[in-house]
Parts: sequence; structure tokens; C-alpha cells
Amino acid sequence: MTRFSNKQYGRRAMLAMAIYVVLLLALLPYARRAEHLSLQILYALLPLVPIFYVIWLMAKRIWLSNELEQRLHLIGLGAATAVVAVFTLVSGFLAVAKVLSLDTAAVILIWVFPLLMFVYATVRAWAARRYGSDAFCEDDGIPMYLRFLIGAGLLSIVAVWAYFHSADEFDLGLLVGLAASLALGALILVLRRWRSRRSSGTDA
Amino acid sequence: MNNRVRELRAQHGWSQADLAERLDVSRQTVNAIETGKYDPSLPLAFRIAKLFRLSIESIFVPGKE
Repeated sequence: MTRFSNKQYGRRAMLAMAIYVVLLLALLPYARRAEHLSLQILYALLPLVPIFYVIWLMAKRIWLSNELEQRLHLIGLGAATAVVAVFTLVSGFLAVAKVLSLDTAAVILIWVFPLLMFVYATVRAWAARRYGSDAFCEDDGIPMYLRFLIGAGLLSIVAVWAYFHSADEFDLGLLVGLAASLALGALILVLRRWRSRRSSGTDA
Repeated sequence: MNNRVRELRAQHGWSQADLAERLDVSRQTVNAIETGKYDPSLPLAFRIAKLFRLSIESIFVPGKE
């Protein structure tokens, strides 16, 4: 098996995430309203198929990566596991004590995977910088600012959809806040990239 | 650990990407080895030595701990 380039991985993961968003918007509203249990299960779980594909892609990518990359993955996954463990334990015990409702606990469960991915990517990028790489400017992958922009775009679509389908204010605020944060992150990365290119142009 | 990887690569006229491809690692890994930020494993050190047709100890030199 040959190693995945960042570009190959990025393209496949982005496509899968886009399909996930489409399936989520198209099917999840019917999950509670479907007449048969089998249809409820189908509507609730079908959007997860692209997520399972992304998890398989990640596993393949880590398996085929070289020794330094594997060390970076290990650092990122270790930190993410620790953060998620604390997050779920605190949430679980608060739910058992009935400080949090079961509905809130279910919503928290949905956020476990995004939190894991966020901490993993952030810590891996930090570790890569310590080894002299710039994970935010990978030279053979989709630029990080573009990934942030695509993420912001996808979340904006979900927010608009939620607005017209009378989502509650907390969910709407969360989606808009996340989209705005990603857009701001993209702007900062573009400025950073521009400054770096400008300074290297001055040095030359 | 200090090493002569950058010097040897330059002698062969290879870019970091060329060397990375020959060693089946990423360019970032080659960069981290050359700058001394990462010490390669023994199997990778052997691959580097084999590629340059030198012994490991003539490429990698222990530095100050």
C-alpha cells in the first residue's frame, strides 16, 4: 500500500464531510417523525456512514504514515483522548446527578467526536511546529485556510437551514458562532500567509 | 545528535522532497532530521546510510546531552 498524500486525504475527507452535512439535513428531521422503528434507525444512522469512512481514512493514513508522522499522530490522539475523557466523565456524572437532562447528555455525546477531532488537529499542529514543520501550511495538501473556509461554509449552510426549520436559539447560536470562528481563523491564516510571503519576498 | 544529511543531500543535488521520496518518508521528516529536531529510528538511519553508501556513524554523530 502506498502512503496517502495530504492532498488525497484532504479531498476524500472533505467530500465525505460534505455528503455527511447533506445527509444530516435531508434525513435527520424525519428520524423522530418516521412511523416505523426501522425507518427511525435508518434516518438517524445513515448520515454517519460518511463519518465512518472518514474514521477509516484516518486509520489508514496513520497506519501508512512514517515514524515522525506517527509520533505526531500519537501526541495529538493522546491529548485528544485525555480531553474527551475528562469532558465525558464530567458530563456523565453531572447527568447521573440530574444536573444535566438526558437530552443535554445526548447532545453532549454528539459533540464528543468533533471535540476529539478539534483537539487532535490542534495538538498535532502544535507538535509539528516543534519539529520544524508548519502544519498550517502543508505543502502538498489543501491549505489550512481553505479547510477553515469550507468548514465555515458548511456550518453556515446548516445554520441557514436550521433558521428556516425553527431550530432552538442555542443550536442556532452555536452554529453561527462556530462558522464565524472558522471564518475568523481562515482570515488570520490568510493574513499570516500573506505576511510570510511578503517577508520571504523582501529577503530574496 | 548531529548529522550530515543536509550536506550529503546537497552533494547529490537532491531536494528535500527527492530525498523524502527515496526514503519513503515525508519532506517534513527529512527537514526535521536535517535541522536536528528529530533523531531517526535505527531502521531509518540504516536506510539513510545505505542510500548514501556510508556507515551510520559517519553520518550521525552524538551531540551534547
